Amino acid sequence: MSTPLLAVESIELAYGDVPAVRDVSFKVDEGEIVTLVGSNGAGKSTTLRGVAGLMRPRRGRIVFQGRDITSLPAWERAIAGIALVPEGRRVFPFLTVRENLEMGGYKDRRDGARVGARIERMLDMFPRLRERAGQRAGTLSGGEQQMLALTRALMSEPRLLCLDEPSLGLAPLVVQEIFRGIRAINAAGTSVLLVEQNARYALETASRGYVLQTGGVIASGPCTELMHDARVRQAYLGRG
Amino acid sequence: MNDLATLLVQQSINGVYLGCLYVMVALGLTLIYGVMNQINFAHADFVTVGAFTAFFVATRFATKVLGLGDAAAYLVSIFVALGAGAVLGLLVNALVFAPLRERGDELRPLIATIGISVLLENGQLALFGPIPFQFDSPFAKETIRFGRIFFTGQSVLVVVVSMLAIGALYAFMKFTFTGKALRAVSQDRETAGLMGINPDFLIGLTIVIASAMAGMAGALIGPVLVLTPFAGATVIVKAFAIVIIGGFGNIEGTILAGILVGIIEAFTVQYLGSGLIDLVVFVLLLVMLVVRPTGLIAERREENV
Repeated sequence: MSTPLLAVESIELAYGDVPAVRDVSFKVDEGEIVTLVGSNGAGKSTTLRGVAGLMRPRRGRIVFQGRDITSLPAWERAIAGIALVPEGRRVFPFLTVRENLEMGGYKDRRDGARVGARIERMLDMFPRLRERAGQRAGTLSGGEQQMLALTRALMSEPRLLCLDEPSLGLAPLVVQEIFRGIRAINAAGTSVLLVEQNARYALETASRGYVLQTGGVIASGPCTELMHDARVRQAYLGRG
Repeated sequence: MNDLATLLVQQSINGVYLGCLYVMVALGLTLIYGVMNQINFAHADFVTVGAFTAFFVATRFATKVLGLGDAAAYLVSIFVALGAGAVLGLLVNALVFAPLRERGDELRPLIATIGISVLLENGQLALFGPIPFQFDSPFAKETIRFGRIFFTGQSVLVVVVSMLAIGALYAFMKFTFTGKALRAVSQDRETAGLMGINPDFLIGLTIVIASAMAGMAGALIGPVLVLTPFAGATVIVKAFAIVIIGGFGNIEGTILAGILVGIIEAFTVQYLGSGLIDLVVFVLLLVMLVVRPTGLIAERREENV
């Protein structure tokens, strides 16, 4: 059996003394889209922050490409090949769109031509960003900021792209555009770990899923199965 | 040129000269605030260390040991002071800020800067004593005149060196990868980490740059200071006012505010007398706090660095 790209082994994550994730294990194989679904407060976003290194687990292990990264800070994990599109997009508001993308390619800063070529590819993917390349990111609409956050994460050519609630607060048409982008990115070979409030979008996009509830995994399997799981249907898909 | 025009030009030149000195001191404060959200109460003492370093290099080491002329010795001393500031910044970051940052506390580093200040002042007091040193710049004796407008070689030197330093910093922040990353860290440290940017390294770099500028400012301002271990305190209060007027953490605002305060000071000396300088500057500060608390360049109010 080949090693998974990412293996999360019974991690516990806490804010101060309040645990948000008690015991979560899952894996992402090369080329997969894996989703974590669950209601508000189930610990999805916290889990993603743990994977990206914004929080250190109190227990458990995180293994990426066979290497234990549990104690690495976020910036070293980014260099190792994990990119996170954080919840709320978090673009750098006073940098221009182009400068935001440059920051995404920071680890290759010594090869300016390569970073420049990648920026061109990103601007091709979302032409609306090209129109606004010289504008401060803080002046963009929510959908444009999400496109920027997504392309900024891709600038590092990650092995694993983590997305935290990419549909949050966006109009349905924009959400479709973003999800098209996510599938295209995956088709090009990047593995994706998707956290999404909108379980239907998530399960239709991903190949496998894990259902989180109060800080633990209560169900997992291929998305086609999860979509027919009674608990999932009742709780997240709004049909009996 | 009539008398009034001559006067306006003359005082504006004096004002720009003063303003450049203030900007050199204030930029370090604003940089550190922008990136660390931290006020560095030891900044004045970094200026003093720069002034003393320059003094000893210019009057002792470069002239007596290296056998340089006075003018060359002073020029060398400016760069040695820059280096001394940088080394001081490096040490303070490594010994104080970095360990405290790891504990993730906001208040402790602030109090630590007060401690560093006391340490530097008393350390220099032990070394140099309380009696002021006479630090003469060889360029102060050179007078340049255009018609009825006079200025000293020293003021030309101060303006040129400061403008170069300020311009270099500005270009660094605006056009280099590292400078942009520094701005990214100041806007959102956590997200900068997600980009593969090591925030700790950039915060350290900021402290080094800010301290180097303070050291250089000390060398430039030394000749007009009463050079004691507490000399920096006389300019730091005005530097704080400038940082607030310019908008905390805002580089462009700080540059603008510094030049503005310099010019206001020059005209205050001309029309109201030098005793009223602080009064005028701080009335301006109060007015700014009421009318435009976010600083001069208001549309950029949230941009740090």
